[in-house]
Amino acid sequence: MGELNANVLQRALAREKAARKQAEGILEDKSRELYEVAQELKEVLAKKSSELQGMSDNLVDAYVLMKVNGDVIEMNEAAKELFGYDINQEKLNVISLIYKDDFDYALESFQQLVTKGSFTDYVARAVTKSNGIRTVHINGSVIRDKDNKAIAAQGIVRDITDQIEAEKLKEELLKNLEQSNKELNDFAHVVSHDLKSPLRSMNALINWLKEDYEDKLDENAVTSFNALLNKIEKMDHMIDGILSYSSIDRNEKTGKKVSLDKVVSDILEMIYVPETFSINIHDTLPTMMGDRFRFQQLFQNIISNAIKYNDKEKGILDIKCNDIGSFWEITLADNGPGIPEAYHRKIFEIFQTAQDKSKSTGIGLSIVKKIVNMYGGEVDVSSEENKGTTFLFTLKKPSI
Amino acid sequence: MKNLKILLIEDDEIERMKFTRVLQKNNYTCKLQEATNGEEAVEILDDDTRTPDLILLDLNMPKMNGIEFLKSLKNNNKLKYIPVIILSTSNNHQDLKRCYEEGIAGYLVKPLKYEEYVEKIKSLIEYWGKNELISV
Repeated sequence: MGELNANVLQRALAREKAARKQAEGILEDKSRELYEVAQELKEVLAKKSSELQGMSDNLVDAYVLMKVNGDVIEMNEAAKELFGYDINQEKLNVISLIYKDDFDYALESFQQLVTKGSFTDYVARAVTKSNGIRTVHINGSVIRDKDNKAIAAQGIVRDITDQIEAEKLKEELLKNLEQSNKELNDFAHVVSHDLKSPLRSMNALINWLKEDYEDKLDENAVTSFNALLNKIEKMDHMIDGILSYSSIDRNEKTGKKVSLDKVVSDILEMIYVPETFSINIHDTLPTMMGDRFRFQQLFQNIISNAIKYNDKEKGILDIKCNDIGSFWEITLADNGPGIPEAYHRKIFEIFQTAQDKSKSTGIGLSIVKKIVNMYGGEVDVSSEENKGTTFLFTLKKPSI
Repeated sequence: MKNLKILLIEDDEIERMKFTRVLQKNNYTCKLQEATNGEEAVEILDDDTRTPDLILLDLNMPKMNGIEFLKSLKNNNKLKYIPVIILSTSNNHQDLKRCYEEGIAGYLVKPLKYEEYVEKIKSLIEYWGKNELISV
């Protein structure tokens, strides 16, 4: 009986052993499979996370990942640099980064982040370890688990301190510029008027001397008085020039249609054109938007220069206009004495004149340039001595 | 031509001399009163016996300037009918507009040349001398 039992037992054991071995084999296979899968997963994960790492490192903006309580879990290089913390060495909670005056706003925004899932364009000050107080712009979003529970929050942080400062500076500069421009204009205005009044007095006094001592003054004295009167008149013209130069950009009446054809024909009626001088308008001149008076100044300065300085028996001024895309190109060509090349650039500067000083104030062409520039154009001159001068300027077509 | 009573408000001595001279040289029988600024003019106007027919007013003056004077004049029910003619250096659009808004009867820009000034003042006197003027 004992032997029989022992045999049965033996067989049962052997069977069991074999079964277990088989199971072990299966398990081994399975675990090997699992291992391989896990390995693959690990590789994929490693690849993905290094991709993510790469992305967050390459991000120019700072990237911060934090728990919902504000503990920072991850920062990219830019974030480390911006805030001056390394979370591998010390714990960091974002609350400690909030500038105290912005605390309420920060909490409110954080509340919005949790309830809505994201916020954009949060702008507030942050207290950094490395850079002091910086103004930052943050777009943030919440990361949720499969039960839709918020587990973390991430944000892209951009340091806009310099940008804001630059903008502020720009605004300030602009304001200062406007102010000093206005002051300069007012100054020119006031000074010009104050300068004109003594000239008027001088003119009157010299005239009285001439009147009251008519029988005592010899020819020489009268010549001198007349020369004085001429100088006074010249000075008065210069002051008028400064006045109109400095007031070009004031009181602009924009948005009014101005027919340049009409402007030119009005000028020709208004100024003295000698019979020996012919002005030929070859093309229809365009209609512009702007201040009529400025266009009149523009043309009148060039036209009257052409007449005033002409030295030929038959003076000619040819006015032409070309359509060159978004600009009109207008040329005024005379057959006068011409302007030496050395002066071509200078003539557009204020108080510079290529001509005899007694005849010109050196302001007219600087006004021409200022007006042309104001209407988005450029002015240029070409000239051959003794043959003539051509003024060419462009005017930006009005966008109607 | 009537004997115009003119009040000239002008701070510049030469300008006042110019005006007087035009009157003299042309034998105008105007009665001229002169004030060198707005405050002096107010003093003259406060005296009922000195009320002028016509006021010639410079804009650019120390103390009370032309515009300020004009405003106070136009607020005075008795004096607001007196025609005011501006004599100014400025032909600035803004200045002109402000004056006409306050109610002026004319605006002359002081010319540089004395002979032009004479012409302007002569026509001014002759024109206003032919006008019907009221006194309140």
